[in-house]
Amino acid sequence: MHSLIRPNAWVALKLPSGSTKVLQITPNTTISLGKYGIFPANLIIGRPYHFTFELVDKLPDESFSRLRVVPTTELYAEVFADEAAPGCSTPAGGADDTVIAATDGVEFSLVDDNGNVIARSNREIIDDNARQTLTQDEIEELKREGNNAGKDVIAKLLLSHTALDQKTSFSLAKYKLLKSKKYMRRFQVLPIDVANFAQWQLEERDSSKIMDLRAEMLGLVGCWGNVHFGGDKLLLEDPKATTDNGEDACVPLQEDLLRGRWLVVDDTCGLLVAALAERMGVLYPEEEVAQEGKTEGQNESTTEKPSTGTVNTKGADVSRGPLDETAQDDVDTEMGDAPTSSATPKTDKKPKSTKPRASDFAIPYSQTNTITVLHGASQPNLSLLNYWGFDNTSPNHPPHPLLNHLLTLSWLQLLKPELDTSYSTPPLTASPEELAAWKPSRRGNFHRKRRRYARIRHIVDTTRAGNFAGLVCASTMDPISIVRHALPLLAGGAPVAIYSPTVEPLAALADCFSVPRRTAWTSGSVPEIADISFEDLEHWAGNERFPLNPTLLQGVSIQTSRARRWQVLPGRTHPLMTERGGADGFVFTAWRAKPAEGKVAAKGKFKRRKVESEAPAAAAEV
Amino acid sequence: MAPTTRNNVSPFLDHGARTKAHSLAILQLSRDNLQPVYLQPPTGGQDGYAEGAVVNTRYGSFPHSTMLNVPWGSQIRASKVDTGSRGRKRKRDSADNPTPGNEATGASEKEVEDSAPAANEDDTVALKQAVADTSGFIHVLPPTPEVWTQSLPHRTQVVYTPDYSYILHRIRARPGSHIIEAGAGSGSFTHASVRAVYNGYPAGGERRGKVFSFEFHEQRYHKMKQELADHGLDGIVQLSHRDVYHGGFLVDGKSPEAESVFLDLPAPWEALPLLSRRKPQSPNDPASENDQAEWVSPLNPRKSAYICTFSPCIEQVTKTVSAMRRLGWVDIDMVEIANRKLHTSRERVGLNLNFDRGVNNSPRDVEEALTRLAEIETRFREHTGKPRGEEEEDEDMDSAGEDAAAAKKSRVAAPNGVIVPAEQQASSGTAPWMEGRLITRGEPEIKTHTSYLVFAILPREWTAEDEAAAAARYPCGKEQGVIGAVDKAARKRERREQLAKQQSNRKARRKERDEKMGEAAV
Repeated sequence: MHSLIRPNAWVALKLPSGSTKVLQITPNTTISLGKYGIFPANLIIGRPYHFTFELVDKLPDESFSRLRVVPTTELYAEVFADEAAPGCSTPAGGADDTVIAATDGVEFSLVDDNGNVIARSNREIIDDNARQTLTQDEIEELKREGNNAGKDVIAKLLLSHTALDQKTSFSLAKYKLLKSKKYMRRFQVLPIDVANFAQWQLEERDSSKIMDLRAEMLGLVGCWGNVHFGGDKLLLEDPKATTDNGEDACVPLQEDLLRGRWLVVDDTCGLLVAALAERMGVLYPEEEVAQEGKTEGQNESTTEKPSTGTVNTKGADVSRGPLDETAQDDVDTEMGDAPTSSATPKTDKKPKSTKPRASDFAIPYSQTNTITVLHGASQPNLSLLNYWGFDNTSPNHPPHPLLNHLLTLSWLQLLKPELDTSYSTPPLTASPEELAAWKPSRRGNFHRKRRRYARIRHIVDTTRAGNFAGLVCASTMDPISIVRHALPLLAGGAPVAIYSPTVEPLAALADCFSVPRRTAWTSGSVPEIADISFEDLEHWAGNERFPLNPTLLQGVSIQTSRARRWQVLPGRTHPLMTERGGADGFVFTAWRAKPAEGKVAAKGKFKRRKVESEAPAAAAEV
Repeated sequence: MAPTTRNNVSPFLDHGARTKAHSLAILQLSRDNLQPVYLQPPTGGQDGYAEGAVVNTRYGSFPHSTMLNVPWGSQIRASKVDTGSRGRKRKRDSADNPTPGNEATGASEKEVEDSAPAANEDDTVALKQAVADTSGFIHVLPPTPEVWTQSLPHRTQVVYTPDYSYILHRIRARPGSHIIEAGAGSGSFTHASVRAVYNGYPAGGERRGKVFSFEFHEQRYHKMKQELADHGLDGIVQLSHRDVYHGGFLVDGKSPEAESVFLDLPAPWEALPLLSRRKPQSPNDPASENDQAEWVSPLNPRKSAYICTFSPCIEQVTKTVSAMRRLGWVDIDMVEIANRKLHTSRERVGLNLNFDRGVNNSPRDVEEALTRLAEIETRFREHTGKPRGEEEEDEDMDSAGEDAAAAKKSRVAAPNGVIVPAEQQASSGTAPWMEGRLITRGEPEIKTHTSYLVFAILPREWTAEDEAAAAARYPCGKEQGVIGAVDKAARKRERREQLAKQQSNRKARRKERDEKMGEAAV
């Protein structure tokens, strides 16, 4: 992914001012960078990422500015000059208050003369504006002429500054940097991957939308959740259910096929899901992957059936399984979901032409390498996934790997499925004759409802079957309540990683697993659990004294991380003076334990404490 | 079972539901005390243990047989294992043996010098069933890079989870990526990166995620090689024994085609020229055209390359960054990661709490202090108010002290005492683990510096031909509409055009309708 800028790709444009603009690069449009100028989008489509482009002056016979790739020797010209200067340990250039990446030193022909100005003491520093002889109108005029990508403006500004020779080298460099940020007509194109996107969303957009999830936290949560590629795509066999078959014809649950599945609670509008999907290799659309020569078993099939653009049927990896000969992806079926679709009626019994259409009860979801998102509202909020071309509300979705690997269900469907209408209402049935008599729109609705029923039933049943490989959370809900219901669904040894912008909820959660609590629980002297069977304790509903079964998690730990950024310049290396504050971000980690049955005592001298747990304070003697 | 072509997928990548023999498991002895163990199948006694291989810890002895084929995460009880008589030279009283089952071993050891006969005996006799001990337990965890990093045998400085999680995020290690790692060291980063890039074992010719690891130190290389084999990572980690400063990064003369690079080397700037797109030019040896043709870049030619170097000293960073700038790397960024672990506990402060460990027996708040002071004062006044003519000063003081002690005693003893909180506590029956205020506190010792991380990106090559091809494919001059920052004038113009369009539409429709009406009228 991300080797070249593709048409209609989302990209981030980094401007000299340090701000970032996120755009979808539509072909045959003009991209406007505000005061930095405009250029045709086609000049960056098909070009590589990470180059720094400069808007060059319009040629006399052309109506648009062309772009020039700025070589790095030019970008770092000032630094090189500093390094070459004798005794570069003394500050000879500019003092930046930004990162090295943003300095992007600009070489001015006249600066060589001024660069040799002997550093003066700060006493002589004077107010910048007072000594600028160019009036605002004149500057505007220069900008309109806009020659040489803004360098002329800056050079003129410097030249007409009367007190330039009185500046220290630090203040001179600062002045230059300030002016280049304002007038240099340069930009850099970055790909929208999770790291870049999260950075932009955090620092320039709405950080509260992603719960202040910083890069350090994304890394930690992903690693401690042990989120990784969970196996090649594996689809269940199409049950070939006819329209008069009811729920009995649904694909039965096959628990032994389920693996590499992660349980996710995401209140970051989908950023967490995107980060996990990236780690599992299901975020970026297939054609990009194919272009990169990666094989996930999806590429071969796309050529077989170019008309519908389905993602997979008989990929190389999948065909290993005994079931997969007839396994059908039903992206195309989903496409027929639109009620007015005329394609719907011909399905089901008679596979038409070479490509048989999947039946209503075919399950489009992979059994492996999936993300199961639990959401508190009736629909999940995964709006940020739009930046990667996935829209979970679209009924008619073009191929995307997340279609087969992202399962969503509400807490109601998980905990009380009988109350959920779409789960508990048995599917409609109709004989082929009845069906033929209906209007196309009614037929479409009929099929759509049956498909929805089969999908929801599959999602709910597989989720309730448990054995998840891990739990990853970034939620505004109380983590104790999440963990209470999620823990029984985790496989033994599965990691739990919960992010919170503040430490308090995580501390309360960790306290549920404190040593005194656990010792009391296992000592066998807690009246409320005395009559409960060992199996039922896994589903312990919680009370005030024991909000959770304290033996179900091991290695409970809370941590926080912060990256401190430095500027590295010859003779001027130091940490940045200011950085983003706000929520620090904390991660709770633990592993799902399978406690031994019965009373378990630790080795060591803990006897006294155990006594206390039963007979509180009063027994103390002086 | 799921259809996997390999049945020996690394336990780091897919550990299955239960523990298996010959596979790595991590034993969690206490919160931060982890111990890696390769579980042995139950084949007769080993090292003189009747139960087969045994792990001895301060929390008890754990025969491997008790840890095999159990669900991961299981709590394992300690077993009664005779650890004392093993390998001892005679001098053992059979009466000391805690279990009757051990008598045979003990007896045999009495007669023979060492434990070898015991092992012989076990070869013929069935494996002894482990007997659960009364106390002691551990948990058996599946291996992940995180627990492995905490428990691995140190050979060099370890790249810990806070660092590698951030690094892998920044260098875009994703399923299918190829990573160059130079300085395999203890292998913690290797394990983390292989998990990040794994998307199946290579079968056939297709490209899969892979780690290309280089280690200079021969002993470390051999240990690492063994470790990778034991962990089933053979096909997806390619370990080479090489000095990369001189040997470069090619594997068998071929390019690893890496898009991510991690350098944990003392002098990364010496290795950087070898990570270029074109043959680096050294000053004393101007590159000839022939050389240029033969030279192969270890980087993926179609993608930007992401690098991270890991250096503890600022001087190394300065040199590295300088080299990067000269070699055309962009977006150079240096950070250091500060990670803190937090411990939660209950802070218990109060006069009426029991004298437990960790309890601060001072007043909890001003009210409590006040009550206590007033009480002491009252008693003191009572005391001095008594007619005691002949008592001396020092005696007086003594008895005052006694009184205070008595007061304290009475306060604790009497449930209906003056102190309200105690009463409340007693009546509500607060469990001891819920007393006090929940606090978080940093761990006693924090790592304030691990290393400086320098990140940079090297864009792919872009030749004039490439540019010409792209320009031909996406020609300019047919621009319609503006995207991005639209200034006020442009916005106004757009709006005007839109309105005009709507109006003309409306007009057209009205006209159409009028015409229809006209027709109808006619």
